[in-house]
Amino acid sequence: MSKHPKRPDKPSATPSDPAGATGGSPRRRQVIFLVLFILILAGGFTVLSLNWVNDHVIEPFTAGVAWASGGTLNLIGQGVVRQGTVIRNARFAVNIENGCNGVETLLIFLAAVLAFPASWRWRLVGLAVGAVAIQLVNLVRVVALFLTGAYLPGLFDTSHTVIWQTLVILSGVVLWIVWANRAPVTASATPPEASAEAPGDEE
Amino acid sequence: MSRAGKAAAGPRLDANRSAFGLTLVRNTLLWMIPVALVWLALTPIYDRFLEVAGQNLLHLLLESPNVTRLVPKDTHFALIVRNDFPPSKDVVSSFRVTDLHFPVILLAALFLGTPGPTWRKRLADLGTALVITAFFHIALVVFWVQFTYATQLGAWSAEHYGAVARNVWGLGKHVLDLPIKLAFPLILWAAFYLDRLLPAPSTKGSHQPPARATKGS
Repeated sequence: MSKHPKRPDKPSATPSDPAGATGGSPRRRQVIFLVLFILILAGGFTVLSLNWVNDHVIEPFTAGVAWASGGTLNLIGQGVVRQGTVIRNARFAVNIENGCNGVETLLIFLAAVLAFPASWRWRLVGLAVGAVAIQLVNLVRVVALFLTGAYLPGLFDTSHTVIWQTLVILSGVVLWIVWANRAPVTASATPPEASAEAPGDEE
Repeated sequence: MSRAGKAAAGPRLDANRSAFGLTLVRNTLLWMIPVALVWLALTPIYDRFLEVAGQNLLHLLLESPNVTRLVPKDTHFALIVRNDFPPSKDVVSSFRVTDLHFPVILLAALFLGTPGPTWRKRLADLGTALVITAFFHIALVVFWVQFTYATQLGAWSAEHYGAVARNVWGLGKHVLDLPIKLAFPLILWAAFYLDRLLPAPSTKGSHQPPARATKGS
């Protein structure tokens, strides 16, 4: 049986929650989250697709990913050399392109963190920890893919486009759930009736 | 709100929400492998469905006469074939259909792993989400084909598509195929279940919201 809460008063905006998203009914806050999430995500990717941003931000960042991946591969004795975003040795070569640098997952995580009702301090903590964690997972992906290409080339395509993309996105989603799950409640002026259970859930 | 009331409504974490998040993460991770196996088994059928549905939508919305055919190639690919091109050049491009829908694995794992709802509701929600996702995938096929026509065929693209059309199809395909496709599982999960993860709004004094049921997992 579902309970339908009374329509709450307009939630109050606070400095840490300019959209007033911490207040209001669960359904309202859900809608605000979704709208903000999609807007930030689409806006962010549109900005990233600009040539200037790609050339001056994404390319150097991707070269950094290649540098870190090459260093890690050399640590495990692969003897790779790096040229820009390309890593190669005698057995295999990969070019790290957009989609393989972890930026998409990073942006999805960023959009979800910014859209979620939490204090700015908690958001900044989440972004800092999440960015490092996602890039570490992506580093493991690039290294694993290089080794797959070098030693199990038949598995490279599936591993590249399906397995590791899924794992990297999964890592971003799991990190976000853990972060959101630990988000402390912030003060707002929502009336008690508005905090009742979400409508239409339990049977 | 009084000063004392504000203090009482300071940072806190309710136990139900904490348990929900951790159980969700655990269940999602546990569901990934079984769901991936089902997805793998159904992929050839679903690839073919997307090729047929995408081709029909193209014919319905964007072509007269109908010139595009999407022909399956190997296990995962579709060839984009134009009937109005010379036979030696009628295959204009190809794309990996499987790449369009692998995020379904995460979608299903998230829905099946959400603690709280009954199995009946969970499966009904997942069914609804999968139908929405299928429509998204069909649209993505259309964007892939139009992106190819508008931007990848050199002089032919420039002759048949203006600057605005090239940008619309190019940016549309880029945004749909990377961020939206990858974020789609999270968007749909949030549309159904985000309220369970949201911090309960703090209220005057020490009011606590009613605990959410967490039956089953």
